[in-house]
Amino acid sequence: MPTGESESRADVPQGALALMILQTLRSLGPQHGYGIARRIEQVSGEAFALNQGTLYPALVRLEQDGLIKAKWGVSENSRRAKFYSLTRLGERRLEAETRRWQRVAHVMARFLGPQEEGS
Amino acid sequence: MIRRVTARIREFLTSRHVDRDLTEELQSHLDHLTDDYVRRGMNRDDARRRAVRDFGGAGGVEIARESVRDARGLPWLEQLAIDARRGVRTLAKTRGFTVVTILTLALGIGASTAIYSLVDHVVLRPLPYPDQDRLVSIWEASTVPPRLAASSSSMLTSTDDPNRQTVAPASYMDFRKVAAFASLAGYDRQSMTLTGAGSPEQVLGETITAGYFDVLGAAPEKGRLFGSLDEQADSPKTVIVSHGLWQRRFAGDPDIVGKSITLNNQSLEVVGVMPVDFAPISQFVQPDPIGFWVTQAFRADLLGNYADHEIFVVGRLKPGVSIAQAQAQLTAASLDIAQRAPQSNLNMRAYLRPLGDDLVRRVRTSLIVISLMVGFILLIACVNVANLLIVRGAGRRRDIAIRYALGASRRRVLSEMIVESLILAAASCAAGLVIAWWLKDVLVSLAPSSLPRLGSVAIDGRVLLFSVGLSIATGLIFGALPAWQARRARPIDAMGTGNRVVAARWVMRWRNALLVFEIAMSTVLLIGAGLMVRSLTALNRVDLGFRTDQVLAMSVTLPDAKYPTGDSRAAFFDRLEAQLRQLPGVASVAFANRMPMRGSWDSGFAIDGGDGRMVSAGFQAVNPGFFSTLDIHVVRGRLLTTGDVKGSEPVAVVSEAFGQKLLNGADPIGRRFRRSAGGASITIVGVVRDIRRDGKRADIDPQVFLAAAQTTLYPTRLADVAVRLREGRSDGVAIRDEMRAAVAAVDPAQPIANVRGLDEVVSLGSRDQRFQAVLFGVFAALALLLAVIGVHGVVSYLVAQRSSEIAVRMALGAGRWTIAYWLLAATTWRVVAGAVIGLAGASLLSGFVRTLLFQVTPLDTATYALAALLLTSVAIGAAAIATRRAMRIDPVRALRSE
Repeated sequence: MPTGESESRADVPQGALALMILQTLRSLGPQHGYGIARRIEQVSGEAFALNQGTLYPALVRLEQDGLIKAKWGVSENSRRAKFYSLTRLGERRLEAETRRWQRVAHVMARFLGPQEEGS
Repeated sequence: MIRRVTARIREFLTSRHVDRDLTEELQSHLDHLTDDYVRRGMNRDDARRRAVRDFGGAGGVEIARESVRDARGLPWLEQLAIDARRGVRTLAKTRGFTVVTILTLALGIGASTAIYSLVDHVVLRPLPYPDQDRLVSIWEASTVPPRLAASSSSMLTSTDDPNRQTVAPASYMDFRKVAAFASLAGYDRQSMTLTGAGSPEQVLGETITAGYFDVLGAAPEKGRLFGSLDEQADSPKTVIVSHGLWQRRFAGDPDIVGKSITLNNQSLEVVGVMPVDFAPISQFVQPDPIGFWVTQAFRADLLGNYADHEIFVVGRLKPGVSIAQAQAQLTAASLDIAQRAPQSNLNMRAYLRPLGDDLVRRVRTSLIVISLMVGFILLIACVNVANLLIVRGAGRRRDIAIRYALGASRRRVLSEMIVESLILAAASCAAGLVIAWWLKDVLVSLAPSSLPRLGSVAIDGRVLLFSVGLSIATGLIFGALPAWQARRARPIDAMGTGNRVVAARWVMRWRNALLVFEIAMSTVLLIGAGLMVRSLTALNRVDLGFRTDQVLAMSVTLPDAKYPTGDSRAAFFDRLEAQLRQLPGVASVAFANRMPMRGSWDSGFAIDGGDGRMVSAGFQAVNPGFFSTLDIHVVRGRLLTTGDVKGSEPVAVVSEAFGQKLLNGADPIGRRFRRSAGGASITIVGVVRDIRRDGKRADIDPQVFLAAAQTTLYPTRLADVAVRLREGRSDGVAIRDEMRAAVAAVDPAQPIANVRGLDEVVSLGSRDQRFQAVLFGVFAALALLLAVIGVHGVVSYLVAQRSSEIAVRMALGAGRWTIAYWLLAATTWRVVAGAVIGLAGASLLSGFVRTLLFQVTPLDTATYALAALLLTSVAIGAAAIATRRAMRIDPVRALRSE
């Protein structure tokens, strides 16, 4: 969706998107695709561009890997929607990945931090 | 075409539903987005347009759908087809590996399926009678002489009591009173001439006591069974025919019951027809179909004579009676007889055994041994394939790691490997099935006909399932192993190792253990084959004491009704002898009750001047031409002549063993004996060489030859005629037709049967031994081949794994031979260890084959040594060939590719 405003937005890295989806489902509970997309855009402060050609394949992959499961339901708008929720495996994976990301982020922050201060 | 079909199936099964689902989901997304814009104040149409624009315009939904489809991957069916194509391509690239693997598994599956089917069919399946576990077989046996059981028996005659005899009708009458039996019946086989519509025909039937069918729990298809009235007749008046004979000979005549048929010139009324699925006991010990059953009263003289062993006896135990209880009662009954008739029965006891066990007693050991061998082969085959797959898998770890690195999912790689393994297994199973069917037919045709129920062997589904299951499991486990092992490996590690292939330590340890195991089992089989081959050569060296080449024999069974007296029978044979002598190809003519190798009779007699006790020897009434026809040489005294006729002094010729065994080595010439108290005194006038009447495996027993012309009892209704062909004249259709014509010239209605060269009979006799030798030989060759493949595979793997190490050593100045030695040493000691374990295993298992050997001990040192030597040298040879590759390694190239 290369529109004018999206030029400043970054593409979401693959692994990160999966993690975001999992985290969204943990904090909000079962969500439909649109809800997940909204949440990610909100939390990222519109920093990430998320198009449907990215989100839905990611959901399919997570579902195939058994990390999330899907079920048709009715949304708050009284519309039919497919709701995704975390599986036990998904919860465990989310925990492990969160720790890994935090460690990497921590190291990166320390690595990059002083240079910023020094400049 | 196929692609289109799979596409259809795919569409139908998965895509349509999934696509609809996805469309709906994306639509829902769009609706929610629109709702949001509406909530922000847009009117519905604008909001809709905005939402669609966010989605990437009109094509946006389609693009999203496409990318989801990509992410989802191909539907499984299409994926399977792709995997299968890829698998076939990969397998075709490594043709050597593929062929060897498929062949190995196919041989394992084929051999084990065919042979286990045979064993199951012959030994393990229960008899087709109601409550068959209550049926017992009963026989009598003398407790002296206590011979070593099975000292020189073959695979098919083993574990049989050599003193075993059929039951005397007199004893049978007593045994009927034993409380343990619900019922008891006697039976015997008899061949009769069926005349009437169509040409005269010899048909095999059973002479039975009336209760035979009741004991077996059988009911007729038409008509009735025998009753006590049928049994009281002096000669058969009624007959029951088999379904087969009824259909074949009487075209299934629905009114057969009540009609008469002619057997041995006697008219018998058909009272019943047995159903097609009724199998008489005789059917389990010989292949010829049983066509009829007749019954008659026992002759009065039989019922008073406990020494005349005539009938097989089958009994049904009362419910709840154990074999041991029945045996105890039976022993008591035979002790009672021994008291009443000490002359004949002092040491005679009766024994029983479950009928099913008894019928297979002769083949059980051999079939168990064969099953063991086949089990070994199947195991070796699986071990080998496991080894091959591990080697191949190890070589592919790098490929797999790269594929992981390129983003292939673990599941994809694993499923690819599994599909490939399945293709391998499927091909092996198909080939194995072909081999199983072929081998089954070969075995049935090779196997001696004494193997019970041979006629109806079919491939057993359960057995096939087991073999196929084992092969597929082997293929799957070891085929998917590399992908499984690599699943956690970081691609960079695997790629970093360059050309070297790496396997976990436990894999190496397993492979080495499997190698040792394989060598050990091959050694066991090789030793078995060696023992069998030595037995066969020993058997071929045995001297029969008579010549079988150029001798052609036939059975001429004269019907009682037409030839009621001994004189009339003798007259027939005299005329037949004259007819046969006129044939230009015939040098001499013999007749006897039975020619050697074609049957024998033991009979009791008392030697004058002895202690009055009855002793026993083989008896035959023969004509003077008998000795020249069979080339039996006279040692002392004279042979029978044409002068020994009725009215002249009764004479007999005996074999050397007669004097040695019955007269403590004294010269028999001039001694006299009587066959019954008050019977004629017969003078011994000559001694001939010993013969092994019953073939090479039989012991040498005393033989008595009576002059046929002098005896009233002989020639009996059963008689054999044999001719010695002139040199240069060989057995063939022409001479057989001439003999048939000679019989017809004497009596056109007289059938002949069992026309055979004696040579043929002798080779039939060694057939068991040859069967065994061939079987073991094939198995051993197979095992050897598999061991070679195994060793070669292991060493090839070693070379591949260490190529860089070898290169470094070479670069540092190690000679090629040093390298070869280094590689071979490890394998050699494993081969030797396997051979040693094999030797130990073979000596432990040797008890099993003891009864299958002939004049060779199961621990024959030469065979063991030779087998071990052969195996180790061949195995080390195979290792050396694989090592040559290491010697050709170019250090520079090997190191550069790192």
